[in-house]
Formats: sequence, structure tokens, C-alpha cells
Amino acid sequence: MEVRTQDKYTLTFWEKLYIPEILKGMKLTLEQMLKKKDTREYPEEKWVPPPSYRGAPVLVLERNGVERCVACGLCSRVCPALAIEVQAAETEHEKERYPELFEINMLRCIFCGFCEEVCPEEAIVMSPTYEMVFTRYEDAIFGKDKLLMSAEELAPRLEFLRSHR
Amino acid sequence: MDFIDIVIALIKIVVMFAVVLVTVAELVYTERKISAWIQNRIGPNRVGWRGLLQPYADVIKLVLKEDIVPTAANRFIHTLAPIISIGVAFSTLAVIPIAGETISMFGREIQMVIADVNVGVLYVLALTSMGVYGLTLSGWSSNNKYSLLGGLRSSAQMISYELSMGLSVIGVIMITGSLQLTEIVSHQSGWMWNMVLQPVGFITFVVAAFAETNRTPFDLPEAEPELVGGYHTEYSSFKFALFFLAEYANMITASAIIVTLYFGGWQVPYLELLALPTGVVVVLQILAFIVKVAFMLFVFQWVRWTVPRFRYDQLMDLGWKVMLPIALANVIVTGIVILLIQ
Amino acid sequence: MITITIDGKEIQTEPSKTIIEAAFEHGIYVPHFCWHPALSISGNCRMCLVEVEKMPKQVIACSTRCMDGMVVHVNSEKAVQAREAVMEFILINHPLDCPICDEAGECKLQDYAYHYSVGESRFDEEKGLKRKRVALGPRVLFDAERCISCSRCIRFCEDLAGYPELTFVERGDHVTIETFPGRQLENPYSMNVIDICPVGALTSRDFRFKARAWDMSETPGVCPGCARGCSMDMWVRQNEILRLTPRENQEVNNFWMCDRGRLESFRHVHEETRIEQPMLRKDGVQLAVGWDEALAAAASELRSWKGDTVAVIASPYDTCEDNFLAARFAREILTTQFLDILPHVEAGDQDEFLLREDKTPNSAGARIAGVTPVDDAHNLDSIVEGLQSGKIKAVVVSDVRAHEHAGFMQALGKAQFVVAIVSNASALTERADVVLSASTFAEKLGTFLNFEGQLQLLRPAVNTTENERWMGAFAMSRLDKFASEFDRWGRMKRYDARSAGRVFSLLAQLMGGKWGYDHPEDIFEEMAKRIEALHGLTYEGLGRWGVRLGSEQPGHLLPYKYSDVRP
Ligand code: SF4
Ligand code: SF4
Ligand code: SF4
Ligand code: SF4
Repeated sequence: MEVRTQDKYTLTFWEKLYIPEILKGMKLTLEQMLKKKDTREYPEEKWVPPPSYRGAPVLVLERNGVERCVACGLCSRVCPALAIEVQAAETEHEKERYPELFEINMLRCIFCGFCEEVCPEEAIVMSPTYEMVFTRYEDAIFGKDKLLMSAEELAPRLEFLRSHR
Repeated sequence: MDFIDIVIALIKIVVMFAVVLVTVAELVYTERKISAWIQNRIGPNRVGWRGLLQPYADVIKLVLKEDIVPTAANRFIHTLAPIISIGVAFSTLAVIPIAGETISMFGREIQMVIADVNVGVLYVLALTSMGVYGLTLSGWSSNNKYSLLGGLRSSAQMISYELSMGLSVIGVIMITGSLQLTEIVSHQSGWMWNMVLQPVGFITFVVAAFAETNRTPFDLPEAEPELVGGYHTEYSSFKFALFFLAEYANMITASAIIVTLYFGGWQVPYLELLALPTGVVVVLQILAFIVKVAFMLFVFQWVRWTVPRFRYDQLMDLGWKVMLPIALANVIVTGIVILLIQ
Repeated sequence: MITITIDGKEIQTEPSKTIIEAAFEHGIYVPHFCWHPALSISGNCRMCLVEVEKMPKQVIACSTRCMDGMVVHVNSEKAVQAREAVMEFILINHPLDCPICDEAGECKLQDYAYHYSVGESRFDEEKGLKRKRVALGPRVLFDAERCISCSRCIRFCEDLAGYPELTFVERGDHVTIETFPGRQLENPYSMNVIDICPVGALTSRDFRFKARAWDMSETPGVCPGCARGCSMDMWVRQNEILRLTPRENQEVNNFWMCDRGRLESFRHVHEETRIEQPMLRKDGVQLAVGWDEALAAAASELRSWKGDTVAVIASPYDTCEDNFLAARFAREILTTQFLDILPHVEAGDQDEFLLREDKTPNSAGARIAGVTPVDDAHNLDSIVEGLQSGKIKAVVVSDVRAHEHAGFMQALGKAQFVVAIVSNASALTERADVVLSASTFAEKLGTFLNFEGQLQLLRPAVNTTENERWMGAFAMSRLDKFASEFDRWGRMKRYDARSAGRVFSLLAQLMGGKWGYDHPEDIFEEMAKRIEALHGLTYEGLGRWGVRLGSEQPGHLLPYKYSDVRP
């Protein structure tokens, strides 16, 4: 390994006096004071996440009103936080299998996106939803009723996923 | 001294208290605003118009909290310490003159100062050194190693900087020839402010004043990263509020003293040339004083959000190896110059 | 004896053996789909291609016999290339079904695709479409697209089960499996084809989509369906047994088990009729009570019936340990000689393959543990007689299926006091004055002795409030390990049940007995000391396959354990 040594920085006379340097610093902060502010006043001004953003994981609902998920359980297996519970059952649709129960515990979820990455059906994706507030533990467990989101709504994310495959 | 004198003195005290308390509250607000601006933020803007009522909300929150005294603490001293701090901070203001002219009322000439003591400078120096007792005692009585370290730091720091502070003021006293603060202010008429006459002394005094008030870059007694708050770690609720109040009151006191000693106090240059009625002059002088103090307060906060905290050895080096020799030299040079002029 | 070399290792073998047999015998794994050590050779999957020096082409290891001096390479460049090519061909028409395929996670094709395939396909034509979700029989579902035409299923039905029901139809890439006209895949062993099918072409209708292989814990156990006592695995998720699969045990069942055992033998563990906690009859009504109260009531009542006015009906469904304590309880505490088990025989339901008429797993074990009438005057018939005549007034029954014996149940009506130590509600528990909720075969540690004398160890797979203390003894899935009380998937149903042996032990203590055991292993230790046939045995010594008691040792199908040879 290459080792580089850095000589000790020796201060000049003016720097040693401190005061001029402090004044320089104060000039800098004064300039900052007059600049435009970066604050976004949150509840009134909402942030629209870019498609790369990983918000709450949701299930993609196809136009025909059926979820894409085939309850293969891979997301549940890969989830490092064990947030997902899937129970498969048989369906008459061509896909044979569907999730009779699909629950994500949003308090367990760490928004890593592994579930989205592993899903063979592109059925679970990270939505732009970032506002999740609960007052009871049970409310944080999202069932299919809360998880299903239409493919149109998720179009930007699906687009993003395809372009970065 | 008769009854009316006492009443007048009481009124002055009450007015001063009220003004300082409100100022302290709004100082907290400006502190947060200025820090926000420097960091490209907006700062508090939710409570009241533009967030002006934020400090009151803070105070209510603070006071409503549970007052905790650690079991191992010395109860009496633990309670006494914040009272000392706040008491000292307010007492100093008694000798600061806020206007030069007197107002006639009730057949008396009322001076715009609570107590015009003839050893004003000494009084100020004495009281500010008293302030350290508050911090040291709070640190000791909390029976917590962080608090104790905080208290120790503050006493060491005070002693180190007290010296340079005193020496810096000697220059001013030599020029004025008086210890009375009203005298010192009157002496700085026109542009003959001590800041101009005593530039080196001014700088050392201001630096020492920062150290005395425990403001950044000298806020080592309450350094959060190392001492978890230092001397006030074990304080909560109202007692903590008192410390908070004392810190800001101290800042006002320090600004007032700097203004009095170096910025010509209430002096408005060349005001006498306009020959205005006394009432107007008094108002203008008070305004001038307020503006100057406000400016100093702004500088205090500005510096706080610009300069990072010193390391402890740097602090001591600066106090003993730089400030003290410079202040001493300043006294000698001033003496020589005065001799030469005479 | 001849000498061949496989991957540089010199092996002594016989000319009658094939290369793959010789390799497996010596712990060398050769990838294969259609070959199975218990089935005839068909050689149609080509996966076992190996390179043999001086042979012009790679040969299939499953049907090439060993010759002296043969030098075989399983992992040479040529052999690897051949395997990759075979995998590519097999995958050409294989659907991308893993997400919806029940075999995923335990699929040979999946595993091999990782181990022996290049990971991509050069085939961009349309994949062939075939029938899916075809019910070949009442218990087995067929997916033609997934079938790789290995013919294992056909050979099993024909050669081993003796029910020729399946065959190939069509040719080329249209080839698929059919049942013979007018027939169904419904032989009593039909579900074994699910296990041997290397892919997910044959799946269980009962287990369909219930759980992923990786979400379940797998506990080795013994099937309680009949006196054969097939070795099997219990697959548990959320404290519920979801399926049983046979476990290789060449001393008992080889690789197989019957459909009935697989589907029915565990149902009662989670049935509606399961008794959740002890019950006590008070003023004619049965009330749920705590263990202490129920045991105290049973003990105090039984105290007044000592001697030959009381009988004990032990259970051939319980372990040897349970029966050992039942016998001691009867003889030492109740001081009665009226002690026997009820037979559960279905005459005629027996064959050469696995099925036995005796539908209990441990009749032989109960006998050896001491539940043996001293003479004809104290056997089951005498007990029934005694009950009828009113000589016997109190009975302790631990047989969960006692209600199937009409004669006995009728006699029981005459008894004055009945204690039932069973897991499920029935006419017996309705009659009982004290019901002590017993744990089932899936919830306890113990031993079963089969009709041939194989003593096998039973391990707990399902949690009860009692056996929770033995967490170390449990196979745990990831879900079991990490569930918190807030996770819905962690809230599993637990019964407040205790093993019959423990109940007898507690009753004995309450009635002045000087013995008591906390753990089945202690009981077994005691049995090994007292019972000659068990001398020198320990749980540890029973191992995975058990121990054959007596002098006659079983013959083995293979000189090695197939499931132990791994890539
Ligand atoms: S990985 Fe996709 S298809 Fe599989 S269960 Fe999860 S969401 Fe459904
Ligand atoms: S984002 Fe990560 S933590 Fe959240 S459900 Fe998906 S895999 Fe689990
Ligand atoms: S048989 Fe195996 S490889 Fe084929 S779909 Fe099923 S799991 Fe996947
Ligand atoms: S169904 Fe399974 S066992 Fe039968 S031929 Fe097809 S792949 Fe082989």
C-alpha cells in the first residue's frame, strides 16, 4: 500500500493572528445569510419523488383488476426485515396462483427494495409513497386492500425499472 | 434618599427587568433565525407572526416539564446555583447609563441609570466574576462527572480571561481618569470613542467578554459532544430555563458594557450641534444606546454560528500566552502615550 | 472384484454394477434425473453423461457397467460440456414456472440449473405449450410443460407399487404422460411419484400452494398410520403440519410411504376436535379447568378405586415411554392387573409393499413397555366383562381411538368413573369425568416400535405449552426464529397438552408414587435398565433410522444412503 505523508500545515503570520481569519469567516456567513433559502415548508409544499425513489412497497394491479403477484413468496424470503407475509391459493386465472393473503408490515420494512428486485413478475414495486403515520400497531400492517396500486399510477417507476435492468 | 427616590429606583428596576426579559426571549428567536439564515434555512416561522412567539412557546414547554433533582445532588446548592447566575447577570445592568441627559420629573433630576456608582468599572468586574459561582456550584452540586467538568472548565476559563479583561479596561480608565461609567461615557463625545483610542484594548476586551459569557467559540463548559451539556446536564424545567435566561442576560450585559466602555454608550456624535430639546435628546440617546447594544448582540450571535469551538488547550494558550501579554503591553503603551501627550 | 478409477479415485467394485452405482457407493455424486437407486434403469435423461477414457463418446453412467481398469471422469471438461448441453436441451421447452411451481426450492432441475448449467439459453423460438393442471388422480396433479420425461413415475407405479397406471404418449417434443384409458393414478402409493418426480410436473393436490419449501421446518418423525412406522419428515409452518414426506430408511420403508399415512395420519393434530385444555365434570357438565385442578380431581377420585376395581387402557398410538409409565401407574399406584390396549386392525388392508392391517404405530412397543396382561383373566375381554358386570368401576383410557370399539364403549357406559388422557374429542371424552388433554405423536419425544422390531425415535415438530421448554429439540424455520409477538405470522396456535407419559407420572406423584419423570429421555433410560430387549440403548444410539431389536437384522436395498451422497 502506498503511504503518503502530509506535512504539518504551518500558519502564516496573519493566520496566526486569528482575527483576520475570523473576519473572513464572518464575511462568508454574512453572505450566506443573504442567500436564497433552501427550506421546503413540508406539509404545505409536498415533495414529488423522482422515479428512482424507494417509497412504500406496493402491489401492481393490472388493468383487468387482478394483481400481478403469483404469491411465489420470493419477496417474503428475500426481505431482510421479514416484513412480508404471503399465503398463496389457487385461482381460475391462467397464472394458477394468487396471494390469498399479502401483508407488509410497514414498521418492519426498511425500504431496501429487495422485494422489488427479486420479484419475477414485476408485481411488487417501490411506490412514491413516503407518508406513513400510524397510531396503532395494526394499522401499520398493510393488507392487499391498502397495497394494490394501479399500473398506470406506477408507470414512472415501472419505466425506470425497465430502463435500468 | 427619600421615599420617592426609592420608588423611582424601583420603577427603573422593574422597567429594566421587563425590557431585559423580553429581549432575552426575542434573542432566543433571533439566535435561531440567524443560525437558520447562515445555514440557508428559514428558521422558526410557525408560532405567531413569522414565528415571533416561538420563544414563549419554548418557555411554556420548559416550565411545564418535570423538575428533576438527581438523588445524589446537593439539593440546596443545586437550587441556589441558577439563582446566582441569573442574579448576577441582572445586577450588572444596574450601573449601565442608557442616556446622558437627565429628565426633570416630580421636581427631581432623574438620571438614566439605576445606580451611578463611582467605582462602576470595578462593580462590573466584580459581579461578572461572581457569575462563575453559579456555573461552578451547579456543576459541583449535580454530582455528575460531566457537570463537574463543565463547572471546572468555566471557573478556569473565567479566571484566565478575567485578567485580560481587567487589564484591557485599565487603558480606558487611564484615558478617562475615572471609574464611574457615566464619566467614561461622557468622555467619549463625538467620535472620540474608546474603540478608536484603544483599538487593541477593544479587541482583547471583546474577546474576553465572549469568554466571560461562555459564548462560542468559548462555550467549553457546556460543550455538548464531550460533556453532554456540561454544568446544566442535570437541570431541567424552570431551573434550566434560568440558566438559559442567564446566558442571554449575560450576553445583553456584556454587550451593554462593551457599548459603554468602547462605543461611547449613549453618545450620538455631533448631536449637540442640532440643539434639540432635552426630551428628544434623551430619546435619541436611548435609541442610540439600544441600536449599539443590538448591533453587539448581533455580532455575538453571528460569531457563534461562524466560529467553531476552541480546543481546551487552545483556549488556555490564547488566554495566558496571547491575551495577557497583549493587554499588558496595551497598558504600558497607553501609559507612555498619555505621558508623551502631557 | 475389479478396479475402476473415478475422478482419480481408485475404486474396488463388481462388474455387475453400473458406473453410477459404483460412484454413489463411494460417495461420488453423479448428476442424474431419471436414475433412481430403487427403480429400474431407463437411461433417457442423459444427465449422467460421464467421460470414460478410450471410449469414443461420453457414456451414461446409469447403464454402463463397470469394467476392470476403466478410467471415468465425472468432472472433466468434456463431461461438463456434455452436461451443459443436456441441461440446455432439457430447458428448451421447460416453462419459466418456478414462481408458481410447488417444487421450487426442492427441485432437482432448479438445483442443477445452478450447478451444471451455463445460465442462459440460445433458444429464441416459442416454447412448446402443453396441458397444465391435469388431475391424473384424486391426489396427484400433473403439469405437462414441466415434465422432463424421465419416466420415474411410470417405473414406480409399474415396478414397485405394482399398479401400472401411467404411460408415455405421443413422440418427440409432444411426448407427455397419460393414465391408461379408463384408469386413474389412484393406487394407495400414488403420491410417491410426487417425491421422485425430479421436477414439479407431479404435485400434491392436498398440499398445493400451501407453503414454500423454505418456509417450513422439517422434523424427522415416524408415521403413526400403521404398524410399518414409515420414516417420514413433518413439514411445519406457523406451528401447523402442512405435509408429510417419506424419509429414506432402508430398514423400514426405503423411500416410500402410503397415501393414507401421508394425508391422514396427522390430521387429528390440528383438527377441530382437538382438546385445548383439561376438562372436569362438575354437576354433570364438563368444564375447562387448569391442569392442577384436573389432575387433583382425577387423583383423589382414583384413590378410592384401588385394586381390581379399576382398569387402565393404554394406547398403541402413544410412545413406548407413555406406555411404560401407564403400566407402572396401573401396577404400582393403582395396584391393578387390569391393563391392556385396544386393537385397531383393518383386516385385509395389507400388502407386501408397506401397508399393514394393524393401523396403530406402536402396538409392539406398548407390549414391550409392559402393557401386557398377566393372564387371560386380565386381558381386554376380561376388562370389558368386568365393566359389564360392575366389578370394574373406574377406567383410565389413553387411547384416542377407543370410541371406535363399540363393545368397549358400551361397557364403559357402566363405569362409575372414567379418566380420558387423549388429544381429540370423541364419544370417549363425552363419557369421561376427567379429560386430560394429551399431546399427539407430533408434539413429543419418544419411541415407536414397528411390527418388525424397528425401534425409531420420534421428535416433536409442533409446539405445545408443555414442550416449549425444549426449544433445543425443535427444528426451527426462519419464521419461527424471528417472529415477534407483533407479527401476525408469528401468532401460532398452541394447545395446552401434555404427553400421556407425563400425565401418568404426575398422577402417580399425586397418589403417593415415589417416581416421576420430567423428560422422555429419562424414562427411556429407566426402560433401558429394566427391559431386557432395550438394554444398552439410548436416544442418541437410535440415530436417524432407529435400531432393530432382536437378533434378525434387516437386509438393505443399497449398501449406502442415497440421500447422503450430495454434490
Ligand atoms: S415476489 Fe412478486 S410474485 Fe412473488 S410473491 Fe412477491 S410480489 Fe408476488
Ligand atoms: S423494501 Fe425491503 S424491507 Fe421492505 S418489504 Fe421489501 S424487501 Fe422487505
Ligand atoms: S419444475 Fe423446477 S425448474 Fe421447473 S418450474 Fe418447477 S421449480 Fe422451476
Ligand atoms: S412426470 Fe415427473 S417423474 Fe414423471 S416422467 Fe415427467 S418428470 Fe419424470
